[in-house]
Amino acid sequence: MVALAEGGLLPSADCFGWVTGVARYQMNMTSDSFAEASDAALLVAFANGDNDAARDLTARLLPRVLAQATRMLANTSEAEDVAQDAMIRLWKIAPDWRQGEAQVSTWLYRVVANLCTDRLRKRRGGVSLDQVAEPEDATPSVAEQIQTRTRLQALSDALAQMPERQAQAVSLRHLEGLSNPEIAQIMDISVRSVESLTARGKRALADIMAGRKAELGYDDD
Amino acid sequence: MMTDPNNDMLDDLFAQARAVAPQPSDALVARVLADAGNVARAEPVPNADPQIGIFARFMELIGGWPAVGSLAAATVAGIWVGVAPPVSVEDFTASTFGEPVTIGIFADDLDFEIGLLTDG
Repeated sequence: MVALAEGGLLPSADCFGWVTGVARYQMNMTSDSFAEASDAALLVAFANGDNDAARDLTARLLPRVLAQATRMLANTSEAEDVAQDAMIRLWKIAPDWRQGEAQVSTWLYRVVANLCTDRLRKRRGGVSLDQVAEPEDATPSVAEQIQTRTRLQALSDALAQMPERQAQAVSLRHLEGLSNPEIAQIMDISVRSVESLTARGKRALADIMAGRKAELGYDDD
Repeated sequence: MMTDPNNDMLDDLFAQARAVAPQPSDALVARVLADAGNVARAEPVPNADPQIGIFARFMELIGGWPAVGSLAAATVAGIWVGVAPPVSVEDFTASTFGEPVTIGIFADDLDFEIGLLTDG
């Protein structure tokens, strides 16, 4: 049992260990055992050997990590690899995590953004990736789904052609919907620099995408 | 004020991208939790210092500077006992190893013989 900074006590360790993790994750998606605990407190609990903390952190953070990677890469397989890689880095940094110095979510945004731009850089070689994330909503027609996939792929390919810092700033601002101060923290730059990066990035993105308007079905706009 | 059609296109693309909200598959969750288990079980890496030298290893072997001080004190005491042995030590060596034999470098008769040679 490990006392959390927030005052709560962690539940007893799962006697079945990690094997039952997936089943418990699925059952407890809505009943977070550490609902009152911060991400950082959970990370400290994980570092102290609490298995439940890892499951709860996964339930809490993995969907957002995967979504960020999917939006930037438009590729399910690559996004899953990035998400897994980001979470491994989280597990590894747990023993050295200092509560109060940084938010876990901020740190993860940065890690995922960097991992994604690494992937996008490799894509510049001309290899076109064709496995695009499937839209969750099943109601749109097949043609609409294909068009959406094509558009998201085009957006990701355009990000790959941009300077990496611009691509990161644009994706955090416009794909994740974060504020400029939040992006400044994530990228460790000033708010003014964020404004400059996002403005230049959006212009560069518009220039790249301009040539694909007809292909992407924006002719009538 | 006219809207920029390129910006309209981008805004629409951004909105479509933000609508993407994939749920992690069971397989991905299993992979992530397995990684967490592996990291948690990983043995801590020994923090061996490759810069450690022979002197440092010797110091570590004998127990550090306090041990060096004791060694130095014992050595000085041993030398002093050899140069000027206390009476008790002399008595002990005499009773254990027999009477000491004293050999004089400048014997009295030698002085005498030197005197003879000078005079003669």
